[in-house]
Amino acid sequence: MSISKRITLQQAAEIITDGSSLTFSGFTIWRRPMAIVFELIRQHKKNLHLIEVNGGSHTEFLVGAGCVDIWESCWVGHELYGKYGANVSRKVGNKEIIVEDYSHAEMMFRFAAAANGSPYAVTQTSLGTDIHNPEYDMLGRAGLRDGKRIAKHKYQFTEDPFFGAGSQVLIPAAKVDVAILCVQQVGEEGTVRVNGQFYSDPEVARAADITIVMAEEIVPEEYLRRNADQNTIASFEVDHILECPFGAHPTGMFGRYDVDGAFLKDFYGRTRTQEGFDDFAKEWIHGQDHMSYLEKLGWSRMLKLKANTALNYSVREKGGK
Amino acid sequence: MATEYASPEEYGLADLMCCAAAREVQDNEVVFAGTGLPMVAIMLAQKTHAPNLKLIFEAGTLDGRPPEIPTSVGDARCEMGASRSSGLYDAFSIAQRGYVDLGFLGGAEVDEYGNVNTTCIGDYLNPELRLTGSGGNPDINSFAKRTVFIMAHEKRRFTPNVSYITSPGWRVKKWPGGEFVHRRELYGSAYRGGPSAVISTAGVFRFDEQSGKIYLDTCHPGKTPDEIKEMCYFDLDISRVNGETLPPNREELHIIHEVLDPEQIFVPMVKKG
Repeated sequence: MSISKRITLQQAAEIITDGSSLTFSGFTIWRRPMAIVFELIRQHKKNLHLIEVNGGSHTEFLVGAGCVDIWESCWVGHELYGKYGANVSRKVGNKEIIVEDYSHAEMMFRFAAAANGSPYAVTQTSLGTDIHNPEYDMLGRAGLRDGKRIAKHKYQFTEDPFFGAGSQVLIPAAKVDVAILCVQQVGEEGTVRVNGQFYSDPEVARAADITIVMAEEIVPEEYLRRNADQNTIASFEVDHILECPFGAHPTGMFGRYDVDGAFLKDFYGRTRTQEGFDDFAKEWIHGQDHMSYLEKLGWSRMLKLKANTALNYSVREKGGK
Repeated sequence: MATEYASPEEYGLADLMCCAAAREVQDNEVVFAGTGLPMVAIMLAQKTHAPNLKLIFEAGTLDGRPPEIPTSVGDARCEMGASRSSGLYDAFSIAQRGYVDLGFLGGAEVDEYGNVNTTCIGDYLNPELRLTGSGGNPDINSFAKRTVFIMAHEKRRFTPNVSYITSPGWRVKKWPGGEFVHRRELYGSAYRGGPSAVISTAGVFRFDEQSGKIYLDTCHPGKTPDEIKEMCYFDLDISRVNGETLPPNREELHIIHEVLDPEQIFVPMVKKG
């Protein structure tokens, strides 16, 4: 075995330098690397460019804390627990952040292209919509399309040259510096096993230049290799690993714990204003570390969220009531 | 069970819309579900007249048979009993490949050609209110043979000009100029259909295949065509009204409230007097 890939929570956040482009595991309010997100906020990261298949609660935290300059994705909110992203909404209204809109499938295919080394993907989704309105190329309007990490064009149209299938949209590969994943298990050498829907994790891990995996538990590599067909991401695609139980809270993790709906409702309700966000961050993020955060949540709350191991979800918690 | 329709005091608007949505599903269809009332509607259809429907959750579940309603499409409940638990690349590839018959979607605004906005209110470059953004709305609407929109009915939401076309209706913008053309012209061999119904809190609306224009199909009990016409900023065609929306039957209400959503997360229960 080569040198250890283990790092700490603080070291994980230190890898992300100001101005980096960043993406995440998970889906909306599921398996988001919240413990690292909170640490990024504590370390006062600036000018981040988030490129995501979809956003969620973690986006709202990073944007609310002023860490983000550009959010490039298709959706942000808290599902059932907050109907839109109040922080993104406020900051795009005040022109404090740039939002570049693509469709969900376009974002997915952009990551798939980056993951297989292609410069772009081709699709027929969203033809005729304002997603392709040339006036609404926000990174272009800001003069940021340098053709290096940010593509020269938001999209291009072409006609199918092979089968005459008509208009096609070419969309640029999603090139990102760092992917931060939050999963159930990782081995000492980096092999990842995701339980349940794996969302877009394999593609984002492969697309990024640096991939950090935060797991509920680090397990012996040989344990995962006994059933290689159940593994999701290969060892060498992962650069750094760390163990952080309940690291996805308040988002949920299949088989481990449910979404803390009450927490997200509280966050959504309190962070419509910047003052509200700052107050929430003061209470839950600044001056805390992961252990003190969990202590503040308390055992009874965590046990309520804990998944039944046969069902993979909690039978005590549904709908954040 | 013989069809026994519930009386008006036994159901609420969400029940009515959910049952109307479920009736859009035909057996054996591949149906794409978004979070919320659509999930209840599809699973209601799965447990009544469409036991062989194939349910796809956007987050990556293929042919799911969850025993109870998931809280969102990322939920652990989605993949219980599924043919395959996978990811978004598979879900969208399957949609683009043409497997999906029907998708259920939502929207903040709709125009008379079924173009839907979920992105912002007001000028996109200076938004009054930024909303969630597209999510998979345009993707499902581009790829599925039929789509059904479930919406709250407020006059400002039924508008001749949506603030932003997030999801493509029957007449869409051709870029770079932005002139409106029939979607058939843009989608070429990928053209499979488009929006087939809007189910609002006031009635059920459909689209004329030739003109692509919306018309009122049925009024929810208690509403008249004239009242509903008055609830739209565009000139609603009420010449083809086909009576009232069928109320829920007792079996449907039982499944919604006792089996699928006993916690009343998506469908509130009407208090019985």
